[in-house]
Amino acid sequence: MSAQNEKTDYLVEAKSLSISYGSKRAVDDVSFHIPKGRVVGLLGHNGAGKSTLMRAMVGLARGTGGLTVLGLDPCNDRVQLLQRACYIPDVAILPRWARVEELISIMSGLNPNFSADRARQLLKRTSVGLRDKVKTLSKGMMVQAHLALTAAIDAQLMILDEPTLGLDVLSRKAFYEMLIDEWCDGERSVLISTHQVEEIESLLSDVLMLNEGKLVLSISLEDMDQRFVALSHDSAVADAMAAAHPLLRDRTGPGPAGNAAIFDGTPPEHVMALGQRVRPNLVDLFVALTRKPELDRTQF
Amino acid sequence: MHTWDDRQPIYQQLAERLAAGLLDGDPAEGTAMPSVRRLATKHLLNPLTVNRALQTLDDEGLLENRRGMGFYVNHGARERLRAAERQRFLDKEWPRLRERLRRLEISPEQLNWETT
Repeated sequence: MSAQNEKTDYLVEAKSLSISYGSKRAVDDVSFHIPKGRVVGLLGHNGAGKSTLMRAMVGLARGTGGLTVLGLDPCNDRVQLLQRACYIPDVAILPRWARVEELISIMSGLNPNFSADRARQLLKRTSVGLRDKVKTLSKGMMVQAHLALTAAIDAQLMILDEPTLGLDVLSRKAFYEMLIDEWCDGERSVLISTHQVEEIESLLSDVLMLNEGKLVLSISLEDMDQRFVALSHDSAVADAMAAAHPLLRDRTGPGPAGNAAIFDGTPPEHVMALGQRVRPNLVDLFVALTRKPELDRTQF
Repeated sequence: MHTWDDRQPIYQQLAERLAAGLLDGDPAEGTAMPSVRRLATKHLLNPLTVNRALQTLDDEGLLENRRGMGFYVNHGARERLRAAERQRFLDKEWPRLRERLRRLEISPEQLNWETT
């Protein structure tokens, strides 16, 4: 593939990108790219640099190194960029005094790529009425309305910073349904950060994992299944498993696989023989690669 | 929301679920499978995963990918699936079941074949 092709195929491209706040490096020398038609999960603990990275992609934080979004420099070409990329920050709030139909008018005036018809059509999926005032909406309805307004922008990239935070399970489900059904068309991509790793895993095509500003994993879910080997095993062979230096050992989860060890790459045959190969799941990899021993699985 | 286990890749789990539907005639032979987008939304899955599951069923000869129209259920898909299931039962489940019946000393006459 020529350099020219690569440029047009990637919606986001970061090369040795670092972003600092004073002396603190929030994002530390990360390189990755996001092709079109992907659903990319951005995972990391609080303070890992997720929000900073997202803010940089829409020109709200400036770093060193290379960052190109839709072929543009986010800081210098911000106005142009925001016509083709949309962003819901983690602190997103809609004006409480406004009615939903007023928000549609405001958006129409702000963004030439916003379609009021499309917004009304998307809102029909939800229980939000056009005459409803924002302040009367539940948190779940508010987030649905926000997604509907955002997805009505004819953009190529959507950036969602913890969109489902604080939502109950039914609202989260409705949110993801709308995202898949109305946004994912094989051309547009979405970058989404969340702490609900287990829940979002099946939606993702790729994952970016940050640990203290460093990118510890950038992989497609398909490649993840190939690269990482999870072996489910009896507790009797736990010591033998541990001796083979797995990435994560003795994972005891609520899943049917029970005890499991995870290896980066295929372990030697005598180790493989100790267990049965199962699917390496994202929660286990998250725990293994972003070492924070005080956290346990029940938090996800 | 978590309906997928760790035993095997998610696309295989979806392929199995869809195959179970086909065995029950859902959807019927000769008719179209739901679109990738519909299946992705229904099962909250990435469309690529859904596509891979459908491709797997296509590789097994159960579906046919008609360009631009999506996947259709092949004629004979149910019989094929039933034959495979039958074989699996006879190879894997029946020996265990027979063993248990013997241990419990249950004779064929005691087994009620009529559905109540």
